[in-house]
Amino acid sequence: MKLLTHNLLSSHVRGVGPRGFPLRLQATEVRISPVEFNPDFVARMIPKVEWAALLEAADTLHLVEVPKEPIQGYEHDERFLRKMHHVLLEVDVLEGTLQCPESGRLFPISRGIPNMLLSDEETET
Amino acid sequence: MPPNKPYSFVRYKTVEESKKAYDTLNGKVIVDDLGQQIILYLNFVEKAQWKELGLQALPPGLMVIEDIISSEDEKMLLESVNWTEDTDNQNFQKSLKHRRVKHFGYEFHYENNHVDKDKPLPGGLPDICDSILEKWLKEGFIKHKPDQLTVNQYEPGHGIPAHVDTHSAFEDEIVSLSLGSEIVMDFKHPDGVTVPIMLPCRSLLVMTGESRYLWTHGITPRKFDTIQASRGPKSGIITGDVEDLTLSKRGIRTSFTFRKVRQTPCNCSYPLVCDSQMKETPTSFPESDKEASQLEQEYVHQVYEEIARHFSSTRHTPWPHIVEFLKALPSGSLVADIGCGNGKYLGINKELYMIGCDHSQNLVDICREKHYQALVCDALAVPIRSGSCDACISIAVIHHFATAERRVAALQELVRLLRPGGKALIYVWAMEQEYNKKKSKYLRENRISQGKKEEISNDTSVQELLVKQMPDVGNQDSAPSVPSINDFQDRGCNSRKVTNSKLPIHTNRTSFHSQDLLVPWHLKENPGKGKSIEPFGPLGSHDPGPVFHRYYHVFCEGEMEAACQTLSNISILQSYYDQGNWCVILQKV
Repeated sequence: MKLLTHNLLSSHVRGVGPRGFPLRLQATEVRISPVEFNPDFVARMIPKVEWAALLEAADTLHLVEVPKEPIQGYEHDERFLRKMHHVLLEVDVLEGTLQCPESGRLFPISRGIPNMLLSDEETET
Repeated sequence: MPPNKPYSFVRYKTVEESKKAYDTLNGKVIVDDLGQQIILYLNFVEKAQWKELGLQALPPGLMVIEDIISSEDEKMLLESVNWTEDTDNQNFQKSLKHRRVKHFGYEFHYENNHVDKDKPLPGGLPDICDSILEKWLKEGFIKHKPDQLTVNQYEPGHGIPAHVDTHSAFEDEIVSLSLGSEIVMDFKHPDGVTVPIMLPCRSLLVMTGESRYLWTHGITPRKFDTIQASRGPKSGIITGDVEDLTLSKRGIRTSFTFRKVRQTPCNCSYPLVCDSQMKETPTSFPESDKEASQLEQEYVHQVYEEIARHFSSTRHTPWPHIVEFLKALPSGSLVADIGCGNGKYLGINKELYMIGCDHSQNLVDICREKHYQALVCDALAVPIRSGSCDACISIAVIHHFATAERRVAALQELVRLLRPGGKALIYVWAMEQEYNKKKSKYLRENRISQGKKEEISNDTSVQELLVKQMPDVGNQDSAPSVPSINDFQDRGCNSRKVTNSKLPIHTNRTSFHSQDLLVPWHLKENPGKGKSIEPFGPLGSHDPGPVFHRYYHVFCEGEMEAACQTLSNISILQSYYDQGNWCVILQKV
């Protein structure tokens, strides 16, 4: 699971709504998978990122040098874009958990795949 | 001209010739072989239309092997049959209304079309058959040694009604040797196609797979057969080529039908016509959300987990319109594929950031193997933050939800994920597998070709067929013409109403007769090894693997749009039919 993906995930436990974001990340196995750098692509992703959630996740993974916020004129700042490219697209969480901040419910990440299925009792209306 | 009677049509080159024929023949009395008087009645008609059947294929699994025995053997076999009434004769000779019958090995009971597998007839098959059967086995004409023989004698005018040999009574391979005279046998498919086949004298008819389990076979009680004039008594399909037909007078035909009695219940791929499988307790149509969820758990989620690998191997070709949709999205778009399956579409456009979601862990694993971003979740509760996606796709997913409410809820989730202005592409299986008279690929792969000259040769082109622009249904003025979702819940679309609330089991590659049904999937344990893969599971294989049933609610024309209409914050951009699917592109306002 890449950090960009993590940034889009939100808990769907009944009743939590927007308080289910962001999911608290815990990783026991992380891998760096190189991805071809496409500056335009990264630039387009930047506005879609919830920055606070990204910082929190990066911090958990002890990633250094993550910019506190998008800098002015980031679209043309290759250094910035390369850093963001690495953080968003090259860091792959293979094993760990995602936790709903509101309910505490834990979702496992296994072989890079988060399993977000709720049990029958949890989904009962 | 009374309806439902056969007629002959004659075309003359000039009006004068036709008038002359009429005056000469109309009312004329002729005398037939039995001394019966026949009066000819002629009528002028405004037009004579007939279907060009074109190139028809033999029913799958069917073979006719000509000259399989010599004339000497034919004579010997015919003479060996003792038709005299002999009460001591253990081989239960019966005289039926139409034809004479004798059984060996096991008696066939016509009351229930069955054999009693625990009561074999003494003597087994006649000795003279032994060497012939051994020879056929050795030469590969048959694969199994039969243990039941029925000898039928058809005099001209005799026939046998169309039937499928009882699944639970006999194994797959059924062979019939024609002696004494050739005959035309009719094979009929449940969808209505009829294929008349010439069975020459001394030929062996081999029925396996679909031709044995699904198609009916029968012989019309008549004294003449219509045959191909150019081919005469040679085997083949009697086509509709009106230039090449002639009548052939029947002789006395004796058939030796060899079958192997089944010892276990039938587990064929044609459950709808299988007496063993239809006896199983059928599944009910769900009455509540909870029941719907349980039904989906058993007949969707568990099944996909079991068949994931094989299923994935049959889902390799991305569909053009879906590719088009994805490629048209702006670079850098965030796209969610809800119900992504094996991730077929996740890598189509490298300029997109796509996340796949599927309920099946095994299918998501396959996405992961391809290095895509994917997660396991429920389409009714997608763990992606609202308004974050530039686009969503839902390909062949929503038809797996068992109630209208759940199907709408799935649509609501898709829309929730979209940012304002975001688009969703939705594909669901259509009830109508034949649209604008053109069969979908699903039906066409039934190998009954439509022939070179289709009836609709001057019909709309394929392009027109596939993309049909609907008027903007967000516009209040056009709203009344769009049926509401409630119409579909009561009326359906000319399908048989599920009155007893049991879900029917569908026969693959035939048209849908119900909107809610179970569709079989025949699992191949080692997919991709040697045998060709058919998208809906192998049919007629000699060694059927386990069968899984998947629940589907197939959509009628307009039903998906009506479901979308219940959502207040969308407008439908496009609505079309694509290869047996109803498709909608909607936009969040």
